[in-house]
Amino acid sequence: MIESFKHLEQLAAGRDVADVFLETDEQEHAVPAEMILEALRKRREVMRDCVERGKNGGESMGKLVGNEARLLNEAWQSGRTFLDPLTIKAELYALAVMGENSRMGVIVAAPTAGAGGVVPGMLLALEEERKIDPEKTVRAMVVAGGVGSIIALTASISGAAGGCQNEIGVASSMGAAGVAYMMDGNVRQMIHAAAIALKNTLGLVCDPVGGLVEVPCVKRNALFAVHGLTAAQLALAGVESAIPMDEVVEAMVRIGRSLPRGLRETAEGGLATTDTGNAIALRLKAEANQRRADRAAERERLAQERKAQR
Amino acid sequence: MIPPGAGHSRYTFADMAIRHDRKISILDVMGPVMVGPSSSHTAGTARLGRVAHEILDDDPLSVHFYLHPPLAATYRGHGSDFALVGGSIGLNVDDPRIPEAIRIAEQAGVEIEFSEEDQGDVHPNTVRIEIESASREVEIVGSSIGGGVIEVFKINGFQTRFKGDSPTLLLFYRDRPGMISDVSGIIAQEGINIASLYCSRKQRGKDAFMQVDVDSPPSSAAIGRICALPDMAEARFLDRIP
Repeated sequence: MIESFKHLEQLAAGRDVADVFLETDEQEHAVPAEMILEALRKRREVMRDCVERGKNGGESMGKLVGNEARLLNEAWQSGRTFLDPLTIKAELYALAVMGENSRMGVIVAAPTAGAGGVVPGMLLALEEERKIDPEKTVRAMVVAGGVGSIIALTASISGAAGGCQNEIGVASSMGAAGVAYMMDGNVRQMIHAAAIALKNTLGLVCDPVGGLVEVPCVKRNALFAVHGLTAAQLALAGVESAIPMDEVVEAMVRIGRSLPRGLRETAEGGLATTDTGNAIALRLKAEANQRRADRAAERERLAQERKAQR
Repeated sequence: MIPPGAGHSRYTFADMAIRHDRKISILDVMGPVMVGPSSSHTAGTARLGRVAHEILDDDPLSVHFYLHPPLAATYRGHGSDFALVGGSIGLNVDDPRIPEAIRIAEQAGVEIEFSEEDQGDVHPNTVRIEIESASREVEIVGSSIGGGVIEVFKINGFQTRFKGDSPTLLLFYRDRPGMISDVSGIIAQEGINIASLYCSRKQRGKDAFMQVDVDSPPSSAAIGRICALPDMAEARFLDRIP
């Protein structure tokens, strides 16, 4: 078992980091490396399908989001964007995945559904823009997953436990390590990419409007995909986090514990309790009650029908 | 959400800084493939429904979900109702029909009901499920503890710890000396390793339950021999819950 990021750096010195993670997982969970890779190849395809569907936009369950990916894509296609293609694609793909997620579409939780746009946004955009072999993306998913699994030894990866830093921060950190891998960085650079990304999300709260995975989650995924790319760029240039990754994770846990309950996924603070947030929550509640009444009426109708048939 | 060291039976916030002895796997972190929007509210709940469906092993006629209060407060916004019903009629967590599951179930004549019920000192996302077919009924109580990971801690009134992450034998029998040895003997003859084993009983010499998690599925002949053991009421084999 890989005990810590310090341990990882020792184990993986001079080796392919993905191999180190695969070997450890094979020992730990009795799943052969080739099976892990095969599963991840399929998951990469699911991510790509999800991006394709999501680019077209559509209404979310709570109707708070849905057209972000379509609008950005249209602006880009018609030459109205000013950022470079890699950045735009990372944002676009993250928005597309999160749009699908908000419509109960099929996605890959990475590490959670609510932060599921960050890793595909970063890795798939980079793969396309730098023309990287898809198999290398799959191995970068091993690295990203491995980084997440080391973080999970110490921290609960959930907004309910420690705020959004524990979800989007961890996703961004995982993705940054994956990007450093795809750009042929060494293990030290991957760990520092992860540390720089995570460090700069500390304190991020989870305050979803109406309790839904829509606001601010969808747009946040796009912004933190770019955040992760930036962290990887710094680390690959040789910039290092002054605070080692293991200590950054510990800081995240401590900060999460000191966050008030209202800012840990309860929808009882922050954006969720702004005037607009409160109004949206009331509307959602009324709509849910209406749906329940409709469903009861439909059940009644079906029961009557069955009775009549008998 | 994924709790620290997801292999553990319970977690509390106080546990968070403790290093855990079981690492969660790469595929747990980079997954599962699931219908949105929430890994704990959608994927985990669908798997809980699926466990009930698999143990019933028959077409359900009615399913009643008793939601622990925190889940009762949040389940609709996350589509947990669709997910629970979807699982209970046999859909996988990544089945795109999950958003339509309630309609599909009702059209098939399955009676669906949700109510709120306090499950005691348990994880917030806990549910008790009663599922019935024409000839059988099954009751489970379990939690969606995050990242799609589940833990069922009661099956038909028997205490257990079922995670659905390995092939498992669920055995219902009359308590007697030698039963564990008989069962493990048959599994050993198959050359299959037992990963873990839980037993509980309602009273000495009365109804008892054994859960045997194995590294690979036993042959149907071996399951037949286990079924034929004296005092064995029922043996159910469940593969890994997808």
